[in-house]
Amino acid sequence: MKKLMASALAAAMVVSLAGCGASSTATTGETGSAAATSESASTESVLNTDTSTLYINLASEPDRLDPALNSTVDGAVLAVNSFVGLLTYDENGQLAPGVAESYDVSEDGMTYTFHLRQSKWSDGTDLTAKDFVYSWNRAANPMTASDYSYLFDGLIAKNEAAEEMVANPEYDAAAAEAAAASGEEYSTPAEVYSDAALAEQEANNILVGVEATDDYTLTVTLVSPCPYFLSLCAFPTFFPVPQASVEAANTDGTNPGAWALEAGFVSNGPYTCTAWNHDESMTYTKNPNYYDADSVSIETLQFMLSADDTAIYNAYMAGNLDFIDTIPNEQIPKHNGTDPEFYIATNIGTYYVGFNVNSKLFEGKTPEQANAMREAINLLIDRQYIVDTIGQTGQELANTFVPAGMSDSNGAEFRQNTDSYTYPDAEAVGYLDPTEDAYEENLQTAISLLESAGYEFDDNGMLSSSTPLSFTYLTNEGAGNEAIGAAIQQDMAAVGITVDVETQSWNVFLNERKAGNYDVCRQGWLADFDDPINMLEMWTTESGNNDAQFGRPDETGSVPSYAPQNWDTYNDLIASIKAETDLTKRVGLMHQAENMLMETWAIVPLYYYNDPYMQKSNVEGVYTNSFGFKYFHHATKTAA
Amino acid sequence: MTRYVVKRVLLAIVTVIIISLITFFAMNAIPGGPFNKEKAPSPQVQAVLEARYNLDKPVGEQYILYMNNILHGDWGVSLKTGRDITSTLITRFGVSSQLGLQAAAVAVVLGLVLGSIAALNRNKLPDRLIIFFTTLFTGVPSFVLATLLLLVFCVQLNIFPVWSAENPNYFLPVVSLSLYPMAYITRLTKTSMLDALGQDYVRTARAKGVPQVKVIFKHALRNALIPVVTYVGPMIAYIITGSMVVESIFTIGGLGTQFVNSINNSDYPLIMATTLFLGILMVSANLITDLVYKLIDPRIELE
Repeated sequence: MKKLMASALAAAMVVSLAGCGASSTATTGETGSAAATSESASTESVLNTDTSTLYINLASEPDRLDPALNSTVDGAVLAVNSFVGLLTYDENGQLAPGVAESYDVSEDGMTYTFHLRQSKWSDGTDLTAKDFVYSWNRAANPMTASDYSYLFDGLIAKNEAAEEMVANPEYDAAAAEAAAASGEEYSTPAEVYSDAALAEQEANNILVGVEATDDYTLTVTLVSPCPYFLSLCAFPTFFPVPQASVEAANTDGTNPGAWALEAGFVSNGPYTCTAWNHDESMTYTKNPNYYDADSVSIETLQFMLSADDTAIYNAYMAGNLDFIDTIPNEQIPKHNGTDPEFYIATNIGTYYVGFNVNSKLFEGKTPEQANAMREAINLLIDRQYIVDTIGQTGQELANTFVPAGMSDSNGAEFRQNTDSYTYPDAEAVGYLDPTEDAYEENLQTAISLLESAGYEFDDNGMLSSSTPLSFTYLTNEGAGNEAIGAAIQQDMAAVGITVDVETQSWNVFLNERKAGNYDVCRQGWLADFDDPINMLEMWTTESGNNDAQFGRPDETGSVPSYAPQNWDTYNDLIASIKAETDLTKRVGLMHQAENMLMETWAIVPLYYYNDPYMQKSNVEGVYTNSFGFKYFHHATKTAA
Repeated sequence: MTRYVVKRVLLAIVTVIIISLITFFAMNAIPGGPFNKEKAPSPQVQAVLEARYNLDKPVGEQYILYMNNILHGDWGVSLKTGRDITSTLITRFGVSSQLGLQAAAVAVVLGLVLGSIAALNRNKLPDRLIIFFTTLFTGVPSFVLATLLLLVFCVQLNIFPVWSAENPNYFLPVVSLSLYPMAYITRLTKTSMLDALGQDYVRTARAKGVPQVKVIFKHALRNALIPVVTYVGPMIAYIITGSMVVESIFTIGGLGTQFVNSINNSDYPLIMATTLFLGILMVSANLITDLVYKLIDPRIELE
């Protein structure tokens, strides 16, 4: 009986699984109800022919729709389709006029005067230069707690209280003690600042450099010339928000984003959010008050809020979606290169492996030996294998930290050899040759580097058991990340280095990485704006993103003897880049900074990010830029 | 009876307080906080956020502040989204309970019917078939079943959309949620029904000429229900609080997704609220189950 049951069960499983593999003939759906047609196939994509609506999946439920509080790429996509800043991006990925029709720059590059068009919020009220003054001050105000508030630091002059807050945000134990001794109450700078701001209505005056000269003229005075300032004007943190509804929803000042937590909030872009069923769907409807509403042809955007790869992909194939930004890894080879519905957009960003320079892994070595060890590991990794079998979308192999495609803000791409600067590996335009052809040579160099760091090798080119080397590679959950961990493990095994791969959940992983509780870990950085400083300033000692722990003391209270010494040189270099007004000189300084960073080899660039997505053949006009923002307002959809 | 209920309610409160303590200290012990970001916010923004949500205070003090707020009916806001937790829980529970109650009803009705049929046709074809399918449904994990249903009904047969903003359809999620408990109830019912049918009182009833229908429904089934009720009480509490797997595959914004996401995000107030809510629900379900025993079988003593 048991046996009979077991075989019957097995048979049933086989039948039901076979049922999924078989495909029937494909037919396109009837207008408006592609999903309801009786026949379709699992292997061929079905068109959705409801021409007034675009069905989209970007990601799961967005955290914030308030553009100033957003810090995700999918949130930015929603922001650029429902709001528009002073500037925006056009079909070619170039900056184009937004609310500002034109602008003038002063001779010294410090003062920008924006001439705004007469436009309206979605509720019909006028949008003026005052809205930008309010919105920028709000985003820069620490009480708003925008993740990107630091973009204003050192960009536009702030009033004294705000500068004080930036300089001294932490709880001051000595001041608290003194206050207690004299019987006074101690407040943290954050508290002082918030009280003062509320009492004196200072909140609108944090940025002294932003002024509404009249209703439609905005004057911005920068601290020093900033070559990427205009691209910030097209970044969501700098978008206008409707003051009246923002303030009405946040009466006690503790919930700055309260106005945009549900559908129906006021915006100024091509679409407004009109329905939001959390974790299910979101509806964006054409905004008749958008200044360029005539050019918007799709009436409705419907967003599927899901992060389930299988559901998203099947919804696309079944004709329930027109556009998907997530493609399951195992499906990519089926579409890449052969399917006209499969697109790859370039992104500016680097996927890399990072070292903790304070790791005990380097204990007993000189800083030069530690650099040699890291360089050897850099050379041993087979990047081509990772891109071919794991990345799968033809990512470019990386050999610099500042990604390919990033501008130097002086009219050229940063990553290239010029008259005044040549990369250490001139032919490969980078710090090493990552191609497969160079592997043998890289392997030999790696072995001699490790020998210079005191490691011994046997005749077979394997690490001798008398000088073992092993480390833990820390990564976060995700099939691709874990597979890259395994690939690195294999590459290291080729010379006898032992690697343990440890996988952690995202939040725990971030914490351990920031705290420096790791030897080697997975990292990645997608640029926020198109200038190398975005990649370089994160490595200053005090930066919140200095996960490599450059210039930081270990638990003994001083910089370990094996870590890079005198990191202040790097900090000073970054400061001088920020102050440099001669753009040509600035490019040279930025190369110098990247050299200094790469000389430590604490960064192992693997590949430059790109962004695969799928879009139905009856959809046209969707465009994307190198930050992954997708614009749907010029999309059109035909019935076949 | 009243004394029993009062005693149980007091015990339930103690249980919930213990749950709250364990959850609060356990979640604070996990490395990483709610404001961890890949791209680190500035230190002053961190300081403002920590002060705003009392995260700069010692954990013990945080707990007292939190419990005090709850006693005043304030469940706080999600640290991730800034959305009010009370209304979030109400909406999410609305979705999950609607799905769950439908699934529970399907499971109980079909389970009792199929279980009785199997018991009455022991070792005949209907029994064999029923046992075959119930074994299948209890053996295959829900994410496999749900994915299979999606592939067959949405992609192959195209009866339902995989996802639709305009006409979301709950048929497949209800089926996915109900298959396991239905199969389990079928097997429970069959076993206890067989047991009941073999009892002396059933033989006596039959000997006295009581009609078959009456024997089954009044004498056998009623007594066979006790183990089923034991299972159904907590099952309903479990099923109406949502399933992460089913919600994720069918794109449903229920409590299950919310619960798992809150943990992944270290969204402390949301973790506390969902855990306490589930805890209260479970404790109540157990209490109600015990009271229902008494209704079904007056011989049971509730002390």
